[in-house]
Amino acid sequence: MERQEPDATFDDGMDSFLEKFQSQPYRGGFHESQWEEEFEKIPLFMKNSPSEIDPLENPDLACLQSIIFDEERSPEDQARTYKDEGNDYFKEKDYKKAVISYTEGLKKKCADPDLNAVLYTNRAAAQYYLGNFRSSLNDVTAARKLKPCHLKAIIRGASCHLELKNYVEAVNWCDEGLQIDATEKKLLDLRAKADKLKRTEQRDIRKAKLKEKKKQDQNEALLQAIKARNIRLVTEAPGEDEDLASEGLSELALYGLSSENPCGARLSVDDQGRLSWPVLFLYPEYAQSDLVSAFHEDSRFIDHLMVMFGETPSWDLEQKYCPDNLEVFFEDEDRAELYCVPPSSTLLQVLQHPRYFVKALTPTFLVCVGSSGFCRNYLQGKKVHQVK
Amino acid sequence: MSETSPKAEAAKLLPFLMLGERADLQAAAAQHVLALTGSGPGRTLLAGQAALLRSLVELAVAPPPAPARDAARALVNLAADPGLHKPLLEAEPGLPVRLLGCVLDPQWPWAEEAAAVLANLSREPVPCAALIEALAAAEPGESGLERLVRALCTPGYNARAPLHYLGPVLSNLSQCPATRAFLLDRNRCVVQRLLPLTQYPDSSVRRGGVVGTLRNCCFEHRHHEWLLGPEVDILPFLLLPLAGPEDFSEEEMERLPVDLQYLPPEKQREPDADIRKMLIETIMLLTATAPGRKQVRDQGAYLILRELHSWEPEPDVQVLIGDEPERGLENLLEVQVPEEVERQLQQQDHQEREQQELELDPGPQAEEAAPT
Repeated sequence: MERQEPDATFDDGMDSFLEKFQSQPYRGGFHESQWEEEFEKIPLFMKNSPSEIDPLENPDLACLQSIIFDEERSPEDQARTYKDEGNDYFKEKDYKKAVISYTEGLKKKCADPDLNAVLYTNRAAAQYYLGNFRSSLNDVTAARKLKPCHLKAIIRGASCHLELKNYVEAVNWCDEGLQIDATEKKLLDLRAKADKLKRTEQRDIRKAKLKEKKKQDQNEALLQAIKARNIRLVTEAPGEDEDLASEGLSELALYGLSSENPCGARLSVDDQGRLSWPVLFLYPEYAQSDLVSAFHEDSRFIDHLMVMFGETPSWDLEQKYCPDNLEVFFEDEDRAELYCVPPSSTLLQVLQHPRYFVKALTPTFLVCVGSSGFCRNYLQGKKVHQVK
Repeated sequence: MSETSPKAEAAKLLPFLMLGERADLQAAAAQHVLALTGSGPGRTLLAGQAALLRSLVELAVAPPPAPARDAARALVNLAADPGLHKPLLEAEPGLPVRLLGCVLDPQWPWAEEAAAVLANLSREPVPCAALIEALAAAEPGESGLERLVRALCTPGYNARAPLHYLGPVLSNLSQCPATRAFLLDRNRCVVQRLLPLTQYPDSSVRRGGVVGTLRNCCFEHRHHEWLLGPEVDILPFLLLPLAGPEDFSEEEMERLPVDLQYLPPEKQREPDADIRKMLIETIMLLTATAPGRKQVRDQGAYLILRELHSWEPEPDVQVLIGDEPERGLENLLEVQVPEEVERQLQQQDHQEREQQELELDPGPQAEEAAPT
């Protein structure tokens, strides 16, 4: 450029220009009332840039933007600009916008594999902080296809695998990275962490397996105990064929053993090998019930009734449910017949009765006051057997 | 029948072993040499034939149709005899370098045999030093030793050769402080990659080599705290092969390291008594210092060793569980051994070694001496 000598005519022109303002007011200045807003609108003095640029509101900004994002620039330049934009958003922790910027950069499909690898890796980082670990993993995989030795991509990938609990993969990625830089601290730390978590996870699996096995063994033992006593079980499912194969029945029974009564009671065995059952007592007269959660098979009905009816229950309006008055029955649903149980019998004796079928592993009995009108009505028309 | 001496007979083989000879003649000559290496006198005979040894090495590294495998196996037998190391290296000083190249070549089909030769050679200090030198003169980038560790730790490194004998090779190399320094480098991840191999099911040679390496490393008592700490966590990997399917109580279980908890009923202990012995030695080394002892105790080693003690069938394998030693013995590796005791121990050592040599049984096939 030519060096211009101070022009005498310029000085004169300047003086006359300045003199103009003595008479004419300057038009291009800020308005006094809204000068701050107008100040903000000048790109150079903006404190915060608008996220969307409206060319009508901000013509200067729109102009600048169109220069940067000019379609006529090379794809590399455009991609680089998007990368920078993404990095800026990233620094402000606006990861969603960062992803968008990086995506735009990748869309340019520029020919520079290094730049694309960086775009993928950076987008992966943003995705990571958004918690999108799989997307992040996809991006670093793409980055590594372009640049197999890109250490940042490998570190990010290992971190993703760690978050996704793919511990073996995490260790593998770390090892691959360590082949490129054997002393990279982040990889050493990641590897140690992933390895420890993997071993802890393996321990948890072993623990669960052992617990499951123990449970199965216990259930198997219970089933054997029931079988040994010749107690008949019946399935809950309606329409089931009565001649169920024994395996099928025991599977269902096992399921019954695993699941608990709504009240949390289940069949158990004590140290001497004696069973205790959850037993349901129904009082049809008043539509009430009692659950004895652990009725020892060798204990007698009368023992429990003494405790249960030590005081007459609140629903016993006529106060007649005393242990001496009570009669216990079980129902043979198949034949719709009742069996009267002597209160002095033990639970085991009754359960072993050829017509007793335990439903849902919870023996059920009906109780009413023998001499009462209700009882007589209830028993009318039904065949009642006496159990010895 | 001609009256030629065995020496002359051997010399006659030489032309057929040359590179460029007819493949079938080469193969027959190599087989003949291999048969010779099966016997003590045969080996001594070959020891005097420098040119023959040299051509044997050439064949061992030559591409097909050369009888590389038989040549390598012959070298394995020759190298098993420490007395032959000098003639071998004099005949072909490049032996370690050339075999190393084969061992580390992922495509070389006889890499296992080459590794076995190196395993036998490196038992003695002179060839071991030669091998270390060969490893140090590496290509840019990855060091030879790093490559060796990688070959050992990467499953499928060589699709045609399992490379189990890299275990004993590394174990022999770890007798040298420079190797230990590399293995125990805190800025790298080296020793950590060896640890899972203590459970390697398919080869006691590999397992033994790795455990031997770890034992040698544990002589570095300055590294004990790091080894026992979370960055390496060596103890569980030493205890795991010694642990059986023990049913510990919940409370005992929680005291054990994670890797030893809730082991399944199928868990088997290390079947090789020598390896069990080495594992116990290694753990004992880690108890040389007071902080080491505390760590080993806190990590529940006592439980595992207690069960091992009641199970151990070999009288040779001594499971020692003791209390805190007396004053002056806090660091067992730095204790001054009185001269008389030192002399006695050396004598015992010498006698043991003599006995071992007598027990070396030469057979017709490739014989591999037990690695240290």
